Amino acid sequence: MTKFYGFSRTDGTAGIRNHTLIISATRASHVLATQISRYVAGTKCFVPGDEDGRSTKDRETISRVMIGLGCNPNVGAVLVVSNKEHGGYPEFNPQRLADAIVQTGKPVDVIILDKAGGLYTALGEGIKKARRLVREASYARRSLLDIGKLTVGVKCGISDATSGIAGNPPVGYFLDRVIENGGTAFFSETTEVIGAEHLLVDRFVSEHEKQKFLSAVQRVEEEARATGEDIRTINPIPANIEAGLSTLEEKSLGAIAKAGHASIQGVIDYAQRPQTPGLYFMDSWMSSTSLFLGYAAAGACLVVFQMGGEGLPVYEPAMPSIATGFVSPILYTTGNPRTYEKAENEMDFNAGGIITSGETVQDVGNRLLHHILEIASGTMTKAETMDYQDQVEVYLTGPCL
Amino acid sequence: MDNKRAIFLDENDNVANLTDTIHAGEIVTLNGPGQQGNTITAIEDIPFGFKIAIKDIPNGSNILKYGQPMGVASKDIPRGCLVHVHNIEGARGRGDRREQS
Repeated sequence: MTKFYGFSRTDGTAGIRNHTLIISATRASHVLATQISRYVAGTKCFVPGDEDGRSTKDRETISRVMIGLGCNPNVGAVLVVSNKEHGGYPEFNPQRLADAIVQTGKPVDVIILDKAGGLYTALGEGIKKARRLVREASYARRSLLDIGKLTVGVKCGISDATSGIAGNPPVGYFLDRVIENGGTAFFSETTEVIGAEHLLVDRFVSEHEKQKFLSAVQRVEEEARATGEDIRTINPIPANIEAGLSTLEEKSLGAIAKAGHASIQGVIDYAQRPQTPGLYFMDSWMSSTSLFLGYAAAGACLVVFQMGGEGLPVYEPAMPSIATGFVSPILYTTGNPRTYEKAENEMDFNAGGIITSGETVQDVGNRLLHHILEIASGTMTKAETMDYQDQVEVYLTGPCL
Repeated sequence: MDNKRAIFLDENDNVANLTDTIHAGEIVTLNGPGQQGNTITAIEDIPFGFKIAIKDIPNGSNILKYGQPMGVASKDIPRGCLVHVHNIEGARGRGDRREQS
């Protein structure tokens, strides 16, 4: 059985949650946006960092994240919040954001501080609008959908020796099943492809995409060399080295196992939604404060964090990310039986049987797949049970001017 | 199950990962293609998850894992030794090396 109960959205995408998203169109409107969100159940509030003095490319990235989150299938309704009706950078014009999101067919509204006549009237009107949106979104119903309707993003973290042997391979198996059923999946972390790119390169479906990929990896390696430092002082991170990973290549070779074996349709930019289904490489920084946000903006309804964890502090650690997928829940899995024991309150899945009892990747991968179908159908991930608005960062590359 | 184990995935690998912490003089059983069930005596202490050399690795030769090069030995590494940052050099991303091509 490879089906789940999901929200079939008007635009053909499938959601596994039904949030109402409040978007602060600029940093300046964060007070209005967050205070509306406080009063209205079922809302999540996205506030960008400061957009002032940023390059066009970076402003477009921030705008793309906002629109992408609004369009995400886990979002049932959207309220765009701004201080000003006119002026400001065009990328953050509230009506422009709303117009892009309303294409999906979901209910969208806008509240603007100066148009409403000041903070206090805007707050009252904004709460009224948000309450209406939340209630409208709550008419959505789950129906039985095929696994191929899923879009997922995967990342590995706090890597140790188990990541490449037991943690990532079942994730790769799961991705293969999603892709072969017509779904979409993302993997990323361009730095951690260095040393393993020759194993990925021939999986790209076109020469053009292959060259994009190689250029992305080359660019990152040059950035690393330009620091004048041995990249081993940066990545692998100290937690990796303390856990026994010795070189970036070793980490990368273990990391790519999470991408399974499917053909790779192409390279997408950070937070860029692909036009067709399939497996994509997102060219991005690996930090979980920004990558899961990028996956959600690109349409992922679930994000998977495979954790080695040997570098975690002792018993009952706190996870580095609770809700950085913002509208998309994080599922934690590990192939390290010691990590599962230490962090059982946070770990959704234990793939450690590959190490302790010689279980096959296929058996463990199937168990993971079925657990993910439960999560997709409404079972909460462990991370979701923490009521927490996680810190997120948009991955920006430009100068601050 | 008393025996300490080390896992490797490709018959060309010259390192394996410990799935138990091991002390100098203890015996490790290998799990992997071409050496399944073979044993090695650890020359030094090796923690869980770290690597043991399963063949002699000469200075300057590739460390092979998953059948792929993952670095270069910076010293001669006898079979049974710990293999980690003190005796491997990464080949990639070396901004500290001016003559990198």
